[in-house]
Amino acid sequence: MRPEDLITRSPTAEAVARETQQLPTPSHEAQDALRQTLEAAARPPTPAPWPALLQEARGKMDSRYAEPATSHRGGLTGTALVLAKRAFRLTFQPFINEVLRKQVEFNESILDALATLHDVQREQARAQAAWRKELERRLAMLEATGTPTEPVKTEQQAPTPAASSKRTRKRGR
Amino acid sequence: MSIPRPPPRRTGLPAIHQVLPRLAWGDAVGNQVRYLQGLLRRWGHASEIYAEAWDDACKDQVRPMRDYAREADRDTVLLVHHSFESRLVPRIAKSPGRKVLVYHNVTPARLFEGFERKVAAACDAARDELLALRPHVEAAFAYSRFSAEELVAAGYPNVAVLPFAIDWAAFDTATDPALQAELDDGMSNILFVGRAVPSKKVDDVLRVFTAYQRLYQPRSRLVVAGYLHRDGAYGAYLHGLKDVLGAEQVRFLGRVSAAQLSACFATASAYLSMSRHEGFGVPLLEAMYRGVPVVAYGAAAVPETMGGAGLATRSDEPREVAKLLAVLDRNAGLRAQVITAQRERIAELSQEAVAEQVRVAFEGICSGTAPQRPVATAPAATVELVCPGFTVRPEEPASRLARRLAEHLPGARVLALRPWGEDAALTPEPISDEGVAVTHFTPDQPVDSNPRTALPGSSALETAVRASSAPVVLLSADTVSAQTLLPHVSARAWGVCEPASQPALLASAREHLGDRLVVEEPAHVETALQALLTTLATTGVFPRAT
Repeated sequence: MRPEDLITRSPTAEAVARETQQLPTPSHEAQDALRQTLEAAARPPTPAPWPALLQEARGKMDSRYAEPATSHRGGLTGTALVLAKRAFRLTFQPFINEVLRKQVEFNESILDALATLHDVQREQARAQAAWRKELERRLAMLEATGTPTEPVKTEQQAPTPAASSKRTRKRGR
Repeated sequence: MSIPRPPPRRTGLPAIHQVLPRLAWGDAVGNQVRYLQGLLRRWGHASEIYAEAWDDACKDQVRPMRDYAREADRDTVLLVHHSFESRLVPRIAKSPGRKVLVYHNVTPARLFEGFERKVAAACDAARDELLALRPHVEAAFAYSRFSAEELVAAGYPNVAVLPFAIDWAAFDTATDPALQAELDDGMSNILFVGRAVPSKKVDDVLRVFTAYQRLYQPRSRLVVAGYLHRDGAYGAYLHGLKDVLGAEQVRFLGRVSAAQLSACFATASAYLSMSRHEGFGVPLLEAMYRGVPVVAYGAAAVPETMGGAGLATRSDEPREVAKLLAVLDRNAGLRAQVITAQRERIAELSQEAVAEQVRVAFEGICSGTAPQRPVATAPAATVELVCPGFTVRPEEPASRLARRLAEHLPGARVLALRPWGEDAALTPEPISDEGVAVTHFTPDQPVDSNPRTALPGSSALETAVRASSAPVVLLSADTVSAQTLLPHVSARAWGVCEPASQPALLASAREHLGDRLVVEEPAHVETALQALLTTLATTGVFPRAT
């Protein structure tokens, strides 16, 4: 850690940076294993568009508005029917909206739930793939060296955790 | 609905009511609203809380927003709390009386991308509402300079920073004995408190903890206290990540009681936050109050909240941050120094001092004697040159191109990221950098010292561009800010991109800008300049470009 990467008033950034440099250097194996694990666990931020299988349903989610009015009849009758349908919708659209409001909300909720299920499944599949890859890597290393790469060998130099010393500094609240 | 009887109102004082979309029990905004109501009533103001929705536990503290217009008069002051999409702007606009914005900041939508598309859309809508509210309010408060900077960028008048009031006594809850006994077993407990949502980067907390456990302290435990939506995509991701990292002793406690939270803090060795966005971080101060040393990634208002106490870092590299945890673990003297500095920071935020500052601020609003902060005295820029790296990475081709372009476009203003460690400015006027007008904005995350890493976005910078009506040139249209701005300003924007940019980002820029995108090699600054000037001239927007 470099001093210019820190903001701290007391102790100074220089003092903290100095302390970080005095930490015991972990073994190369431990560092390498950690680096590879972190790389395996890296996940660049990727936009998640709506799942393709839900796109069609999404297009039909808002049931308040129907397709443009048409008629299979030709001539004046057909035109009159189309005009009548348009007039009907124009007149009653506010009522239609109100009647279908709950339905639209339900449609939206159910689509959200389905999309969430899809996303969860995607994340689980991704995690499983990464996990399998990581296990295979560790297995390959074990097979190659014949010695375990983990657990970490810094255990002997690890100090007593500060949590235990913290018991003496409780403020009796 | 039964409403508790407020203290007697002093005649002559205007009513000061508050509105928020949802009054929740236990969240930072809800706590703040209740605290302000208590203060206002104590000072003799009539004060009610209005909301569209509320938790059941709060039903006696709130009135429905639809009643506000009927109950308010033209002297009433309405404090509009804004932190998320509210859909209240039309109702607020039509309501009588004076309005003052209280801005808690809105999480950038990009931090939810890939996990929570509905929340991301709501965050985008909340930023739209921030701009839509501007004509209806006469003053605005923010809880940090970081947030205030965005209000200034949005063109709000009379922006001031309000101290965040914290009820410290609420933290003095007795610990839950069962949980305390469980956690107090001699292990080093690293604690994070907060909802497990993508913007809080609990995944980075896991990464740092893994590095700490593997490299420095095997006898360690990670405790995450806060709501985790296990059925959501981020919850699934976190559990998968935990398995992939192979960290031992990771405890997701979920939502905890006050007593359980006390137990978590009482047994914590250090508090770790890797959050990418905080308008003001209450858990950081809570940790300081409870004597737990804080290590935090210095994003958004985190360094400002910490006020120099604790250890704030601009590195999010897990092995580097783990070193800070290790140092606190091993060096008792340094740890004691950190805790002492944190206590001093807490002393600056005593309730009496905060209440007095709040009273002065509100008195100024009510009496009209608050210091008037001008929106802008300088003439508006003729063109906005968006170049985030202009100051922090001056040698980059985009920065050199911005400088050359500014020389050719009179009245142009460069919008750039503020260097790490500098305080946010609340003046809208640009500064002159060797003859080029530059306005700096605090980045949402610290700019990494490694020049190969991508530059972070800046909500304030993006808001400034959206609030401006001038044409926009996006130098390096593949940056985070440019990509965020594209859907909003594409009709008046031009852009430059390198051919080697990420294909998805280049495609997005092409889709929004079409012929107004210049794709040029980074080394060919002069060629890019000529191409851009030609494009600008042919559109007739900049006849004065020479």
